[in-house]
Amino acid sequence: MSSTPSLLQVRDLRVDVGERTVLRSVSLDVPAGALVVLMGANGSGKSTLGMALAGHPSYRVVAGSARLGDTDLLGLPAHERSRAGLFLSFQSPPDVPGVKNNLFIRTALNAVREARGQEPQDAFDFLSSAKQGAKQLGLPEAMLGRPVNEGFSGGERKRNELLQLSLLQPRLALLDEIDSGMDVDGVRAVVELVQRLRAQGTAFIVVSHYLQMIEQLQPDTVLRLDQGCIAETGDIELARRIARTGFARAATTAEA
Amino acid sequence: MDSARADILAAQSHLATHGWIGRRSESFRHLPPPELAQWQGQPAADAACDAPPLAGTGWTLLPIGQTPASGVDARWLDALDPAQRAELFAGLPPPGEGGDAAPFAWAHRALCRQGLRLRVQGSPGKAPGEQDIVWLHLRHQPRAQAEAPLLVLDVDEGVRCMLIESHEHDPAVCQHGLAQNLHVHIQLARGARLQHLRVAAPGPQDRSAHFVHATLAAGAHYAQALVATGGSYHLQRCVVQLQGAGAEARHAGLLLAGTQAIDHQIVSRLDAPHTTSQVEALALASDSARAVANAYTRIAAGADDASVRQRLSGIALAGQPRMVLRPHLEILHDQVQAVHGATWGALPADALFYAGQRGLDEATARALIIDGMARAVLERCLDDADGASLLEPWLASGWLHQAIARHLSIPQEAAHG
Repeated sequence: MSSTPSLLQVRDLRVDVGERTVLRSVSLDVPAGALVVLMGANGSGKSTLGMALAGHPSYRVVAGSARLGDTDLLGLPAHERSRAGLFLSFQSPPDVPGVKNNLFIRTALNAVREARGQEPQDAFDFLSSAKQGAKQLGLPEAMLGRPVNEGFSGGERKRNELLQLSLLQPRLALLDEIDSGMDVDGVRAVVELVQRLRAQGTAFIVVSHYLQMIEQLQPDTVLRLDQGCIAETGDIELARRIARTGFARAATTAEA
Repeated sequence: MDSARADILAAQSHLATHGWIGRRSESFRHLPPPELAQWQGQPAADAACDAPPLAGTGWTLLPIGQTPASGVDARWLDALDPAQRAELFAGLPPPGEGGDAAPFAWAHRALCRQGLRLRVQGSPGKAPGEQDIVWLHLRHQPRAQAEAPLLVLDVDEGVRCMLIESHEHDPAVCQHGLAQNLHVHIQLARGARLQHLRVAAPGPQDRSAHFVHATLAAGAHYAQALVATGGSYHLQRCVVQLQGAGAEARHAGLLLAGTQAIDHQIVSRLDAPHTTSQVEALALASDSARAVANAYTRIAAGADDASVRQRLSGIALAGQPRMVLRPHLEILHDQVQAVHGATWGALPADALFYAGQRGLDEATARALIIDGMARAVLERCLDDADGASLLEPWLASGWLHQAIARHLSIPQEAAHG
């Protein structure tokens, strides 16, 4: 994948959800500043990888390892994985009933800043940067004063994920279908933000089926996940072939 | 014998003859009230306390902001003086009309020693739609170990009033467990609007029973947002009668049961066309708490286009508290809209994980979500600009934040600020 040291190292990860094994054996390396696109048919385990790395209690890691830099992710609760620098953009971001968006994000930001040994950001400074970030991402400013994701459209929820990404500035971000529900301006905002954060060293794993966005993101690596395993590793040409032929044909070609 | 004394004796005689609330009473069977003697001023078995007698002032009226003083007529009346007692109880329904809560009304008549009558009036020369808003804060501090305070509030035609009513008993001041049987009568004239934030925080040993009776004329609007904490026994019962066409009532109850008991009862009677009633309750309870949320709404025959919504929620924060949520509709007319529901569960797991993924530890995430849900219930009730002006300063005072931390065992540093 790359000769530079990996920020994220996943080895032989096996994950069960309930009684079912969803990820059988997944290994991957993502260096700092790199961008990996993860493709795969529905049910192949893309979202499971993100949830398992983030520490969702319903996704049980039964074998393997995952390190972010020097940190063993699997031994940590979800909030400490986040503080270690892992950000997961949810495919369907949930409502947080009653909690104002700006308060939620500021509380999260200050928790992360404290873990990094930084001073907390006061409400005034935070609001200023949040408004600026929201404007760049096309998120109406009013959404900052509303409860997190309550009554948000699909696109607004995704923009709100991007706003948190831009403010939290993680070491590694996993974006799970960030483009779904987004209009063309939203997709452009994704690309611009990812490029900016990559330049600062943030690594990305992007789950997407949308070739145009994938091409604009200029990935270092494209992976195809099939039945809980990495079935193919390639570059942008793999994404183009999958877009052209679909996952069923791609699997047949790989087996041949 | 003077008429005040005769009235008291008559009430005592009625109670002696008819007895107290039975264990099978429909409204009280889930959380039966303490025995009658405790509401009559006879000390409870656990009342031994060396603390000095209570020296509360009863009702204190505190105008807020730029309220025109001329708009408020306040009279503190002595219920042992025949003339003042007659004035205090003038126009109020007799105790016997209280349904299965009538014994509390009789006990109140027997023990009431003082009351406040408030009349909120319009400014002369201004049309009903142009009246200034009257902002008030009523604070009640207990005057006796067993007491039966009374508040009568009349809001004149077209007048808008914003009211905070607070009841707090700090057990650090006095270790006595109180028994408080409070009755509030609210009468809104045609087109009057009252937004009412009520805060009732008894001490852990207290027995509190608060009754609010509201009567709404045509086009009147009443919104009550209640914040109540658990106690040894704590009843909050509100009966709203929408008598005039187009009247609207909203009620939100935020019940911070903690590990204690709270019984919340809302009775709404829609007697006229185009009337609206919305009831929402959120009970937060832990461990051995007992929380009851009752909503009963009756739509009378002829109440064309009446609209009713009941939404009761209970959230167990720890252990296995006993929570009873009872939405109940009685509809005697065809052309109406009615929605009701009750949900019982835990804090939303997906929201907790989401917060964790953003770096918040569990205690902080729980505190943030509980605080947010609590605020949202109140904000939905007082949802216009005036309501926000009433609610926001109170929320900013930090009282709710501290009460949640205190009653729900959340470390204060974990809650947001």
